[in-house]
Amino acid sequence: MTMKEKIRDVLAALESRLSVKPDIALVLGSGLGGLADELEDAIRIPYTELPHFPAATVPGHAGRFVVGRLHSVPVIAMQGRYHYYEGYTLEQVTLPVRVMQALGAETVILTNAAGGVNETFQAGDLMVIRDHINWFHTNPLIGKNEDELGPRFPDMSEVYDRSLRALAKETAQALGISLKEGVYFGLSGPSYETPAEVRMIRKLGGDAVGMSTVPEAIAARHGGMKVLGFSCITNAWSGTGDQPLSHEEVIETSERVKAHFTSLIKAIVKRMGE
Amino acid sequence: MSLLNQVRDAVDFIRTKTAIEPEIGLILGSGLGELADEIQNPTVLDYRDIPYFPVSTVPGHAGRLVLGELEGKKVVAMQGRFHYYEGYSMQQVTFPVRVMKMLGVKTLVVTNACGGINRHFKPGDLMLIQDHLNLTGTNPLIGPNEEAFGPRFPDMSEPYSKALQEVAVRSAEAVGVELQKGVYAGISGPSFMTPAELIMLRNLGADALGMSTVPEVIVANHMGMDVLGIACVTDMAIGEELEPLTHEQVMRVARETKPKFIKLVKRILHDME
Repeated sequence: MTMKEKIRDVLAALESRLSVKPDIALVLGSGLGGLADELEDAIRIPYTELPHFPAATVPGHAGRFVVGRLHSVPVIAMQGRYHYYEGYTLEQVTLPVRVMQALGAETVILTNAAGGVNETFQAGDLMVIRDHINWFHTNPLIGKNEDELGPRFPDMSEVYDRSLRALAKETAQALGISLKEGVYFGLSGPSYETPAEVRMIRKLGGDAVGMSTVPEAIAARHGGMKVLGFSCITNAWSGTGDQPLSHEEVIETSERVKAHFTSLIKAIVKRMGE
Repeated sequence: MSLLNQVRDAVDFIRTKTAIEPEIGLILGSGLGELADEIQNPTVLDYRDIPYFPVSTVPGHAGRLVLGELEGKKVVAMQGRFHYYEGYSMQQVTFPVRVMKMLGVKTLVVTNACGGINRHFKPGDLMLIQDHLNLTGTNPLIGPNEEAFGPRFPDMSEPYSKALQEVAVRSAEAVGVELQKGVYAGISGPSFMTPAELIMLRNLGADALGMSTVPEVIVANHMGMDVLGIACVTDMAIGEELEPLTHEQVMRVARETKPKFIKLVKRILHDME
């Protein structure tokens, strides 16, 4: 079955349940799903009710679409996403982004929890993604290209839209929120990085490291969506191995910066709707 | 059948063959398998007889699990290991580590043959593994997590126990063996690296490279084991000075280094708490 056919199946199950056609898609990362609770006139659709969507397996990842309005802008949010480390194929990981585009979203805002590799970053920082490095050792577009979805060789010269990044920075400034900018280094996980790997990532040009976002950004660009990305820096890697890390700490830090994160995204969506 | 139940079946089988409850696990790399022959009161099990164990395909890797006593410690040793390049899944490659842990092993000693990237090394050197780079292109923990084994996102801030590294340094001094230290880059192989790739690995912070160890150590950390890693530098892998290399050369240096390597590992076992 082609991706196009799968998207068609999902739309058939989804479209009749929606009251709005979303303009903006939001992918909410670890601990950041709360933003979806602020949508007005929200309709919640668990992934498990949709064809071709497997059930999510990680605690903290709820696994549903929330469709509604944010500052009267129609949006579709993913509360929970699929990760490669869970054992899904990258086709499964990126199907929801394709679906959101097919529903009408022309822009996707990808968010994640990430480790800080740049030595000037601190736990609790927010980073707008300037670019990424695909270190998954695979690519969601491997296989026969479906020309209806996008080109065989998609351009990656500006994955994260320059004008949207500028908008994000202006908005953050207006709100008095400090916003870093940097390169997101995406890898499979699920084991966290060793100190030697943190130093390697730093040498390779990564500012933050995480286990998501890159496949979705590639699929979104393949389909011609505009992409904006944010990382919530949940811990600062020293590269010396002096700080063991647990998933609980990651969630705790996301909880702490959630207020900043939420107000920033809401303000950006509002300005994008103007 | 779930991986957990496969491991349990393997453990149950091993327990019908021996009453020994090993505390230390040994993975014996290329050419070091002989150390298992020194294990006292051994119970020797062919991998092929143990439920769900893969079977080794590389010359020089025997393929037996040996349980018994070595230097006064209760050990389980893998004589021969599984490599990703042989076509096994990462779950198969790391299966024996999970079995060892569920047999009661708390400490894992991993050995291997590696190529030297650090210019200060020479063939025949032994290197204490301080850390690793996972450049295998995958991770043995991809897939649903089994909470009975360990957490979804295991911390890797100390993949190789600092306390055990200190023991190894003291043991090396005690037996007069020079011990290098460094970062081991784990690749899939089976082709050796090109000069350009070797230069890249050096730039990425690697001191040595090889085709094993990293998956086993990730899984050992997932299971909460303390790990000690020692690599035998069998050849130099300096990108700018690379000469053609054969498996036979690697095996020759491994063979020549063996007495020193065995002496060190035995002393470390002796010196462990």
